[in-house]
Amino acid sequence: MSVFQLNVNGKMHAVNVDGNMPLLWALRDILGLKGTKFGCGVAQCGACTVHLDGRAARSCITDVGVAALSKVTTIEGLSYDGSHPCQKMWVELGVPQCGFCQPGQIMSAAALLAEHPHANDEQIDSYMSGNICRCGTYPRIKDAIRRLAGSATS
Amino acid sequence: MSTRFKVSRRAFLRTAGVGTGAVVFGSYLTPSLQAQGLIHNLINGFPVEGVPVVALKVNGDVVITTHRPEMGQGIRSSLAAVLADEMEADWKRVTLKQPDAEAAKYAVAFPAEVAADVTLPFPYEKIPSIRDAKLQYLVSPEGSQFTDSSRSMTAYYTVMRLYGAGIRLAMIRAAAKKWGVDEKECRAEKHRVYGPGGRSSDYRWLLLGAKKETPSYEDISNALKKSEEFRYIGKGKEKMPFYDALDMVRGKAEYGADVDVPGMLTAMIERCPVANGALLSYDPAPALAVKGVRAVVPMFPPGVRGGGVGRAFMPLAGVAVIATNTWSAWQGRRALKPTIKWDLGPHASYDSAAFRKELEESTSKPGRTVRKKDDVDGAFAAAGTVDARYYVPHLAQTPMEPPVAVALFQNGRMEVWTPTQNPDGAQQAAGAVALGFTPDQMVLETFQEKARKAATVHVTMLGGGFGRKSKPDYIAEAAMLAKQMPGVPIRVQWTREDDVKFSYYNAASSQYLKASLGADKRPTALLQRSALTSFFGTLFPNRSTPDLSAAELAAGAKLRADTYGGGEYPYASGIERAQGLEDMPYEVPNIRLENCEAENHIRVGWMRSVANVYHAFAINSFAGELAIAAGRDQKDYLLDLIGTDRILDEKTLVAQSVARYRNNELPLAAIEVPVVKGGKVNQVVAGYPPDTSRLHAVINQVAEESDWKNKVAKYKNMKGRGLGIAAHRSFLSYVAVVADVSLGDENELTINDIYATIHCGLAVNRDRVLAQMEGGVVYGLSYALLGQITVKNGAVVQNNFDDYPVLRLYQTPRIHVSIVDSNDPPTGVGEPPTPAVAPALANAIAAAGGPRIRELPLATSSLDDAKKLEKVMFA
Repeated sequence: MSVFQLNVNGKMHAVNVDGNMPLLWALRDILGLKGTKFGCGVAQCGACTVHLDGRAARSCITDVGVAALSKVTTIEGLSYDGSHPCQKMWVELGVPQCGFCQPGQIMSAAALLAEHPHANDEQIDSYMSGNICRCGTYPRIKDAIRRLAGSATS
Repeated sequence: MSTRFKVSRRAFLRTAGVGTGAVVFGSYLTPSLQAQGLIHNLINGFPVEGVPVVALKVNGDVVITTHRPEMGQGIRSSLAAVLADEMEADWKRVTLKQPDAEAAKYAVAFPAEVAADVTLPFPYEKIPSIRDAKLQYLVSPEGSQFTDSSRSMTAYYTVMRLYGAGIRLAMIRAAAKKWGVDEKECRAEKHRVYGPGGRSSDYRWLLLGAKKETPSYEDISNALKKSEEFRYIGKGKEKMPFYDALDMVRGKAEYGADVDVPGMLTAMIERCPVANGALLSYDPAPALAVKGVRAVVPMFPPGVRGGGVGRAFMPLAGVAVIATNTWSAWQGRRALKPTIKWDLGPHASYDSAAFRKELEESTSKPGRTVRKKDDVDGAFAAAGTVDARYYVPHLAQTPMEPPVAVALFQNGRMEVWTPTQNPDGAQQAAGAVALGFTPDQMVLETFQEKARKAATVHVTMLGGGFGRKSKPDYIAEAAMLAKQMPGVPIRVQWTREDDVKFSYYNAASSQYLKASLGADKRPTALLQRSALTSFFGTLFPNRSTPDLSAAELAAGAKLRADTYGGGEYPYASGIERAQGLEDMPYEVPNIRLENCEAENHIRVGWMRSVANVYHAFAINSFAGELAIAAGRDQKDYLLDLIGTDRILDEKTLVAQSVARYRNNELPLAAIEVPVVKGGKVNQVVAGYPPDTSRLHAVINQVAEESDWKNKVAKYKNMKGRGLGIAAHRSFLSYVAVVADVSLGDENELTINDIYATIHCGLAVNRDRVLAQMEGGVVYGLSYALLGQITVKNGAVVQNNFDDYPVLRLYQTPRIHVSIVDSNDPPTGVGEPPTPAVAPALANAIAAAGGPRIRELPLATSSLDDAKKLEKVMFA
């Protein structure tokens, strides 16, 4: 056990855990930030996606010790009120069904658009295919990102 | 589990809601109220008697109880909006509340005492037999909160409208009296009543007057809006609200996994890999050495068999590691695993490849005839025949949120927080654990009722369900552990590997079809043999359940026979037979449909669309094969097969079901009120018989949407391009799907477009219907292309999304969905979009010059069928 200084959503938190505890469980069980979801534990589904220094990362395979070197942003830190453009577009298009994977989807989409504000379909496919949605909201996710990227066809 | 409620007339009136003097505003603000109750009501709203889902606050705001669990189908908003629409509530003043399990409260009895000359409201006037069938329940207590079979809207649409209209009428009457005017001169709009002379009043100022109003059932049903007056319903004038969307995108929606109870510990369970196994020995020391681990606890004592075949929702044998956080529990479990020795039991030799051969042998021989018309064998002898055999493997539901439950045992009661499709089942399971009831006891109503009283179940949002969360095994696990640690909340967290390895799988199935073609190339006879590993084999003790006495076997068989469409082990249940076998819609002169044996060796449950998965795949693929044999256009041939517009022969089909239901399950003479389980039987049998005109409608509309005619002509001259079509009725709705595919030189598959059209009666929440269609197509593509659970040595081989892949965004084709316009009673939309996808795809591949796909999934390499696609790739 060691004490790590985690910078999460702009606030410093001291967490006293094993350095190999995945960031996901530190966020959820220690810091009580439940917006980041557990879906697979092996970086297959993307439900646990957060930003490390603005880049999308799977928190289920990121050790706390590693995460302590970066600024961590979770869905709770993307905006306080749902005002991030992705969140607004998600609501407007009625993207979520059960909603469980959507924090991870939105964190991936936000990172994609930060890197490629005018993302094309290829970039959307490649960035977003690490996030599984069993409800099958992919068509609307794609539509939402296309609209935000200004590449919508309709 | 079978539940039999006997409801006295008084109880019926109390819970009916739509009974005589239906909406009675309650005794709120009366002196008799206890102070505590008053404070509670000031905060949460005052309940409206006769309307169990509405409470009104003193400022006029409305709290709507959304008693059906939300798992992505949007039912919270949809049902609440139906009520708000009729009530003319201002949506800004509506809050939704997810209630605890309390199934009896939300049951809806039919107002049998309504005079014979009263016109029943839409849709009940469409159910001619409803008055004489003694159907006392529209929704039984057992089914009132059980969210499966795509029945929430079907069951509650009219009920919610009556509730809402009753409140609106009471408000209007209160205003009319206050102003001394005729109620006919008043109307309500968005929380206000408007009267003559420019008078108007907010609902909040009418509460005291409204509580004195007791509008009758007849008045309320006459007050229901006309469809052009709808605000949200159907093509209403305003966008249907989506209450939870903002919380979902901010990570604020609370799922079962997110529940945090002070002092809570987290458990992970290492389970026996084989069904009906037992723990032999384990060493807790390595796990206890892990930081944070507090306890290591076996689920059952060594030597005691856990759940499996015939054991319903009993947890599997296992050992739990209980820790201060999830990661410590996980690490402890890893340390524990090598120390465990199992008695794997009789299913340790189960191998799904060998079992497939057994299933195929089973469909090579005659089974039990479940529907018959004239002489199939004679027709086969007189003409050339075509036959084919199809196979669909076990499938796992894999909702994004793996199963999870928190349980707290104190003062002899169990308190549970969990995502469940089945709140009543969860409550019974948790209460049974609290009181130490055995499964034998829990088949009795008195014990069920005691168990309900011993447990509180808080229902959270579900991170997907798809049938997995209908089974309360994970809730029983949490309760069993909590009981051993009174006062400590215990959370059982499943990993994805647990979810894949310990599901209640959709049945593996072999389907054999044979037809003879006449001179006009239409079938003169059709034989279908269906073998499937029934989920009734999991629910009821049978000869594949180890260590049963003769008496236990007999009791299991009787219990099964007493449950809807029971059937005998190892045959299918009536539920499975009715999902695409008995209701086979083709118009053929000679028909024989058979159900063949299939043993159970793992836990079988149900997955989105259940038995329709394999029945729709087989029958629609076979229709495609016949069209090719006949040299006809697939779509035209399918329309011909379905034949004339008709209600499917009720004498041979529906009457069979009724007879089975009555004879096998409920001898009418013996009971006072026949139970309608989950409102299912009256819907299927009495109100919504299979209607081929709706199949025609969806086929014609999807053909138009996909430009079928022109594309078929165009693709004829293109190498490796094809269209396929399939159509299927399930859960009372009708869906047709067209797939447009390309094949490369090495049969690499590209799915270009999927078109899907639904007839679900009135599409109440059009946007959510479209969303369910899109998602249902993706779900169908997942199992058509990728889904397969295999078993070796009794244990499931797959682990996680790497070896149990599901569709991803880049693999998703363009999906075009549409709805047939209808004002008929609404029917289900959660499951129906799925079944027709796989056969449409298979038919398209054949049309593109590829191989005929007779087994799923397409992308498997473990099956050695020479006709298999060599490669499956994605666009």
